[in-house]
Amino acid sequence: MEKIIVCIKGVPKPGTVKVDPETHTLKRESMELILNPNDRSALEMAIRLKERHGGEVTVLTMGPPNMISLLKYAYALGADNMILLSDRAFAGADTLATSYVLAKAIEKISPFSLVLMGLKSIDGETAQVPPETASILDLPSLTNVKELFKEGNKWIAVRENEYGEEEIEIEGPFVCSVSPSAFDYLRPPSLKRLIESKKKEPEIWTASELQVNPERLGLKGSPTQVIDVYEKKLEIKGTILEGEPQELVEKLLEILQEKEIIKLG
Amino acid sequence: MVERTKIEELSKENILAFGEIYQGKLHHASLEILTPLKEIAEKLNKKLILLCLAESVEKIQNLEEIKQCIADEVWFILNKELDTFKDDLFAEVVVEVIKSTKPYGLFFPATFAGTSIAPRIAGSLSLGLCAHVNALEVEEDKIVMSRPTYGENIIAKLSSRTLPIMATLSAGVFPIKSSEKAPVFKEVMLPENFSWRSRLKVRKFNPSEKQPTRLTTAKVVIAGGRGLKNKENFQKLFELAELLKGEVGATRPACYEGWIEEERMIGVSGVSVHPKVYIGFGISGALQHTVGMESSEFIIAINTDKEAPLVKMAHLALIGDAPKILDLLIKRLKSLSK
Repeated sequence: MEKIIVCIKGVPKPGTVKVDPETHTLKRESMELILNPNDRSALEMAIRLKERHGGEVTVLTMGPPNMISLLKYAYALGADNMILLSDRAFAGADTLATSYVLAKAIEKISPFSLVLMGLKSIDGETAQVPPETASILDLPSLTNVKELFKEGNKWIAVRENEYGEEEIEIEGPFVCSVSPSAFDYLRPPSLKRLIESKKKEPEIWTASELQVNPERLGLKGSPTQVIDVYEKKLEIKGTILEGEPQELVEKLLEILQEKEIIKLG
Repeated sequence: MVERTKIEELSKENILAFGEIYQGKLHHASLEILTPLKEIAEKLNKKLILLCLAESVEKIQNLEEIKQCIADEVWFILNKELDTFKDDLFAEVVVEVIKSTKPYGLFFPATFAGTSIAPRIAGSLSLGLCAHVNALEVEEDKIVMSRPTYGENIIAKLSSRTLPIMATLSAGVFPIKSSEKAPVFKEVMLPENFSWRSRLKVRKFNPSEKQPTRLTTAKVVIAGGRGLKNKENFQKLFELAELLKGEVGATRPACYEGWIEEERMIGVSGVSVHPKVYIGFGISGALQHTVGMESSEFIIAINTDKEAPLVKMAHLALIGDAPKILDLLIKRLKSLSK
C-alpha cells in the first residue's frame, strides 16, 4: 500500500495571458485557468503506481477557490483525496514561500511514501518547487524522473539528464519531479469519476490549520522581489515586404544566395 | 599546485559560481557564467570563486579549461562520494560552504545539476532564488537580476532580500572568456564531522545515444512557431533544414503543442543560437524566444502579422502565410537543385 501525494498547479491557458500595457501587470480577468500540462505526467505516474501497489493518491494545490475545478479534474483522472491550501496570507508567494506551505501541508498528511510533481509549470518555468519542498522537509529529491518502480522494498528511479540516463536507488519517503515525456499515453478523465467529482468537495486548509510561521507566508515570506518591469522597445530595423507568396519566396531565395546559403545556377 | 585549506580559513563574502562536473567533465555553462559574474565581482570589489565538487582533481578531463578560467580562485571539494551526482549530498556540501564562508552571491548555470541543487540549497537555508536570469548589474551596491517574463516584450528586474544573492543563469547566453593569469587552486577540507552520506545511490548510467542537436553552432537555423498551425506543417521544417544544411528550432508554444521535442526550444528555458541566417516561420517573437536568437547575424521573419515583434526586429520580414511560403520555398529549392 502506497500513499502518494501529487502537487499540482493551475496556470493560465497559453494565449490567454494579457499584460496591461500601462501597469505591466497580468490582466487576470482575461486568463483562462488550466491544469499545468506537465502535472499530467505526475498524476499518471501516481495512478499507475496505485494500480500496481494499491494505496491512495492525494492531490494538493495552493491557490484561490477557483482551483477546486482542477482538483476535481485530478479526481476524475484517478486521484482519491483532494486538498486545497487556500488563504489570503499565501498570496504573492515566490518559490520559497510556496514550497514552505506545500511542505507544511505534506507534513500534516504524513506518513506518506512519496511526493510527485510536474517538472515545471508552464508559466513560471522555474522547476524549483519540487527540490525546494523536498529540502524543507529534509527529504531526498530527484528531478525529471521518467520511471519509478519497486524492487522488493527498494524504490528505483530512472531519470533523464543532459548526459544520459541514470538509474538510482532512493530511500523513501522522497520527492520527484516527473519528466513531461515520461508517458506516451496519458489517460483521459473517466466519465464515472467526472460525475462523482461533482458531489465531491476538497478539504480546504487555511494557514491556521497548518503549523506555519506567519512571517514565512506569501509576499512577506518571499525573499525574491520584482523591483521593476519594463517593455523592451522595438524599432523596425529591416525591410518589410508584402505581396504574393511566389514573389516573397523569390526574394527569400535572393537573400539566401546573397548570404551564400544556397547557390543558384 | 593545489594547496589544502581548511574551510574556516577560506576568505569570506565572495561571489561563488557553481562548477558543474559530471562524469569527470566541467560543463561549459559553468565557465560561461563567470563572464558576467567577473564584472559584478569587480564592481563590488569581491573575489570570484569557482566551486567544484569532484572525486579527484586528476580525474577532471578538461582541467586545462579550468586553469584558464577568469575566476580568482577555484575551490575543489574532493571526496569519493562525489564521483556520481547526488542531489542531496551535493546541496549539503554547498550549504556547508555557505555557512562557513558567508558568500555575497552564489550562482549556478541553469543546467541539469545546477537547477536540481540550487532549490535544495535555497530551501534548507530559506534563501531567495531567481531562475533563468540572463542579465546582471550592480545598482547602488546591490546585485540586480533581469529575466524576460510573461507576454511579448516584458522584462522583469529582480532582487533578493537574503544573502547570498542566488540565481540560476541561462546557458548559452554569455561568451566564455579566458585569463592569462591562472586562478589559485585550493582543496577545501570540510569539518571532520561532515556527513558524506546520501539517500541516493546511482547504480547505473547510460550515456545518451541521441546526438545532441547542433542548434547552438548551426550556421542556418530554421525555427517554427504556432503560426505553422499543426505538427505536419512543422515537420516540413526538417525538409527545409536539410536543403539549407541547417538545424530546426522551435518556440515554447510549438513545443507545448507537442509538435517537436523540447530540446529544440530556443529561448529563456531553452538554448541560444547564433547563426548566420535565422528564419522564423509563424513566430510572433515573444521575448522568451527572442532572447535566444537575437544575436543571429541575419534574421528573416515570415508572419501574417505586420506588428509582430519578430517582424520588427528582422532584417527581412515577409508578410504572408507561413505554411504556404514554407511549401513554396521547399518546392522551389528542390527544383533548383535538380
